Amino acid sequence: MTTTDHAARAAARRSAKPGRKVLIRVKRCEGPGKPSRFETFAVTIERGANIISCLQQIAANPVTVEGTRTTPVVWDSGCLEEVCGACTMIINGKVRQSCSCLIDEYAPAEGDVITLEPMSKFPVVRDLWVDRSRMFHNLKRLRAWVPIDGTYSLGAGPRESPDAQEARYKLSTCMTCGCCLDACPQFLLAESPASWDTSFVGAQAFGQALLFNSHSTGAQLKNDRLEVLMGPGGVVDCGNAQNCVKVCPKEIPLTEAIASLGRAVTIRGFTRFFTS
Amino acid sequence: MTTAHTQSHQGPLDRNYFLLRRLHSLTGVVPIGVFLLFHLTTNASVVWGMLDSREGEALRERGVRTFQNEVDFIHSTPFLFLVEIFGLWLPIAFHSILGLYYAKTGKGNTASYGWAANRRYSLQRLSGYVGVLFLFYHVATLRWHWTFLMPGGVAWDGERAASTLALVLRGASEAALEAGASYTLGGVIVSLFYMLGVSLLVYHFANGLWTAAITWGLTISQKAQQRWGVVCAGLGVALMALAWSSLLGFMTLDPKDAAAIERSHSGHKGPAMQLGDSQH
Repeated sequence: MTTTDHAARAAARRSAKPGRKVLIRVKRCEGPGKPSRFETFAVTIERGANIISCLQQIAANPVTVEGTRTTPVVWDSGCLEEVCGACTMIINGKVRQSCSCLIDEYAPAEGDVITLEPMSKFPVVRDLWVDRSRMFHNLKRLRAWVPIDGTYSLGAGPRESPDAQEARYKLSTCMTCGCCLDACPQFLLAESPASWDTSFVGAQAFGQALLFNSHSTGAQLKNDRLEVLMGPGGVVDCGNAQNCVKVCPKEIPLTEAIASLGRAVTIRGFTRFFTS
Repeated sequence: MTTAHTQSHQGPLDRNYFLLRRLHSLTGVVPIGVFLLFHLTTNASVVWGMLDSREGEALRERGVRTFQNEVDFIHSTPFLFLVEIFGLWLPIAFHSILGLYYAKTGKGNTASYGWAANRRYSLQRLSGYVGVLFLFYHVATLRWHWTFLMPGGVAWDGERAASTLALVLRGASEAALEAGASYTLGGVIVSLFYMLGVSLLVYHFANGLWTAAITWGLTISQKAQQRWGVVCAGLGVALMALAWSSLLGFMTLDPKDAAAIERSHSGHKGPAMQLGDSQH
């Protein structure tokens, strides 16, 4: 987010009056494969209201601005403090977490409209709730873990330098929310899990592949990860639109991670050609 | 597990996926990008050649002569046809076909996310599509002499390089010029298409050079990517200047004057003759 965005949002927060009515326009869908439609709800805004509190008000009284009684809007949420990623949705055309989205910043005046849509790159379960299991599939595809399972104690791991820990820390803050994937022009909706082994992995799991490749025990699986990253859907398919790093709520240096993996697969490619 | 599982289903294209991806990136830089650099420099000689003007010689004259010398020099390359096939046409066909296939795997979203890098991503693909069309037209008409695609049926002639190129951009044959034509509508369209096509291809190369550095892992940190971005932008501006100066140079060139210069020039041709030329 740029400084001008910050300033504009702070100004909007200052000018916002509690008790005003704001229109929440929600993209509704009754289930997978069902058609979608928009419904608009008028919500009275209290100080500090966010998208989730508005959705709770709508759930308590699901009546549209036309006065039609409808079903409560379905959404997913968990921590309500932007660390779980469950409430990610598209707000006014851009993907972000809804819990950290303050109404005062997005709709400071009476009658302002906020549009809510489900994430566009994951299959819709219902309304604003999507199935994000493809991200977990991609973590498995890249073996994004430290291999320590076994039948006896392996003892203490290798000593880690503070510098290496620091570099990995940023990558480890990924909450698998999927913002980077939703904003990526190269990551497309794939309903069928059958295509998930060859479809584009995307920044989320790339970051995790780098995290575990730079961990001295995790690096035992480094070449396995690189092989996947060199194949269809791997890091070689990245188109460098760099939206991922701009929408990441945790400010993970995803484009640098992608470039690092690019270097790693280049070296691996030469090694594979000339050595193995 | 996953690796073994997916590899058992892989065809030859998937098995060599990495190699093809990297060759696609490499061919864009060498030979295609390097050729573009030389090609635009050669074409612009109709303008920078003027700086080499001799005493008593019109500026235009030296430009036309320099360009003709450049063309003669290229045409004197041994095994030119093989160099063209393996150094240019095959790499360009490879880069284009794979590029079209790769471009289809993405879906631009600049309407929602209008950031500069995202716009460059979409423009890279658009310039690829238009660039393929433009290159095909360019090579088909000027190299393969498909004159039916040329307004006025003009054919480019390497022996009269500058004057026939001026005719091409005017869309008028010599006979039409005699009858008083200057620029035909077809010529204006061809000229505009050249302006657009060349500009997009220069962009495609400069931006491709920037992304290639990330793809290969040369530039990693955001700062390094910015620094390399300045270099690529600088190169792009320089190439754009060469491209536009050559196009403007040929568009403003009088084909009749140029033809007269070329007639007086023929006879002292080729690099060996140039030595004698300078003794005048």
